[in-house]
Amino acid sequence: MIADNLVVERGVSAGDAWITVDPANLRSALSALKDDGYRLLVFLTCVDHLLDASRNWPARYELVYELRNMETPEHLRVRAFIDGDPPRVDSVHDLFPPANWEERETYDMFGVKFTGHPDLTRILMPDDWVGYPLRRDYPVGGEVVEFSEEHETWQTAPEKA
Amino acid sequence: MSTPEGVTISRTGETGAFGGELLSVNFGPHHPSTHGVLRLIVDLDGEQVRSVKPVIGYLHTGIEKQMEALRWQQGVVVTDRHDYLSPPINNLAYALAVERLLGIDVPPRAKALRVIMSELTRLSSHLVWMGTSGLELGAMSMLMYCFRERDTILDMNEEISGFRMHTSYIRPGGVMADATPRFLEMLDAFVRAMPGHVDEYEDLLTMNPIWRSRTIGIGKLSADDAKVLGATGPMLRGSGVAWDLRRAIPYSGYENYDFEVATSDLCDCYGRYLVRIKEMREAVKILRQALDKLPDGPVNVDDRKILPPPREELETSMEAVIHHFKLFTEGYSVPAGDVYVAVESGRGENGCYVVSDGTHKPRRVKFRSASFVNLQALERMALNHMIADLIAIIGTADAVLGDVDR
Repeated sequence: MIADNLVVERGVSAGDAWITVDPANLRSALSALKDDGYRLLVFLTCVDHLLDASRNWPARYELVYELRNMETPEHLRVRAFIDGDPPRVDSVHDLFPPANWEERETYDMFGVKFTGHPDLTRILMPDDWVGYPLRRDYPVGGEVVEFSEEHETWQTAPEKA
Repeated sequence: MSTPEGVTISRTGETGAFGGELLSVNFGPHHPSTHGVLRLIVDLDGEQVRSVKPVIGYLHTGIEKQMEALRWQQGVVVTDRHDYLSPPINNLAYALAVERLLGIDVPPRAKALRVIMSELTRLSSHLVWMGTSGLELGAMSMLMYCFRERDTILDMNEEISGFRMHTSYIRPGGVMADATPRFLEMLDAFVRAMPGHVDEYEDLLTMNPIWRSRTIGIGKLSADDAKVLGATGPMLRGSGVAWDLRRAIPYSGYENYDFEVATSDLCDCYGRYLVRIKEMREAVKILRQALDKLPDGPVNVDDRKILPPPREELETSMEAVIHHFKLFTEGYSVPAGDVYVAVESGRGENGCYVVSDGTHKPRRVKFRSASFVNLQALERMALNHMIADLIAIIGTADAVLGDVDR
């Protein structure tokens, strides 16, 4: 059973149960939940709450871990709020092997650094890509148009857009 | 993407089990057997595979970023395109997620039509898989047989939605339009004919000595490994785990249909093939039940804030014009919150995680794709097999690269 002191807040969103944990305790919380039977990490991702007025967010980046107990089958969403440049959090790839690529994807798209990940490199974007496309301050259409005759004249570099 | 230099073959300097040197070979991305653009860096000891490193991202289209720039009802069109072999199932995941946030429930007829479209899609996706995998492993004629039936399914897609592949048929609030009488006739004929066609595929493959020797004992994945690696769909059921979201966490009325969860204890490529054959038979069973007890009634929620009013009302009702205008200029707002809905696609768990900040566009849409997670099990399955078996293993993993890269 996950210790109550690890849980900062708990609630239900549209029928899905969730808890919030302190990012420093994320590994121990996930490890305790794994022992409770939540053995499948369905996905992990990040949400950028830049300029999000829907509530008072504790930090800009929200990490979301969706866990499932395949016996019951119950779901639990674990959230952790992090800030910083770059935002950092502990990797859980050894607890949940599917997290390996998911963490690389989250790093690729949001620039979240997962400490302890064996190979934290870009997975979907090219290696020499500048910027993190799914951050809210990364403009749509700000990317370089490759293979275009005109791109020298009209393309907008990400930092200027 | 993380690629070593663009070499085709490089020496590793390590000595293999046979006294020779391990070679690093580039496989793909434009290899016909990779079902898209998958690149693998394979370390070979003679012909044996010692390590496989998938390099993905060649089909990355920024779908999740695009979703944030589109209004809620516009996003449906984009969901079609990530797993391009099962568009209606992706639509369904997104539609169910948005409906849960809005707190609405669609009428029974819409639910049944959604089940019909999902099962047709599962069939067409398995048909593409079987045709192309047969082609790769020496059963060339499979492609012709499978695409014959797939074409019938695409004709039905066209009849019901106007599109053959990217239907956008299932939308938040219901479906695009009611099924036409012709569609129901076509479906009835298809359901009658399909079991015979599945028998035909089995005649061609199940006891085929080449097919059997290329798949039996190849790409072993134990039930424990499959669970630990997060595999879903036929990958997991082919390892003997009876886990199917339609049964475990029913959605869209699947609890009302009588079907079996196909499993196989063989844990190899042949087991995964048997699971898909069984799933095709079960899909036909579900289609028959859905067709027989298709309820009457509307196919959309009666809520003008979410779906536009009928065309004829626009000529007589001022209110309808206002609703129409609001819906197509601003769209609708979804209450703040987040939700995750998972559906069973032909490949496994395809889910949709949607975050709303209360505005008319999503804050974040994340697609949980089965292919992306299943592909991570590739190395475990391919280790110490011959390079030719790698083709069978990639084939039966059935990753759709559009779904992997999104």
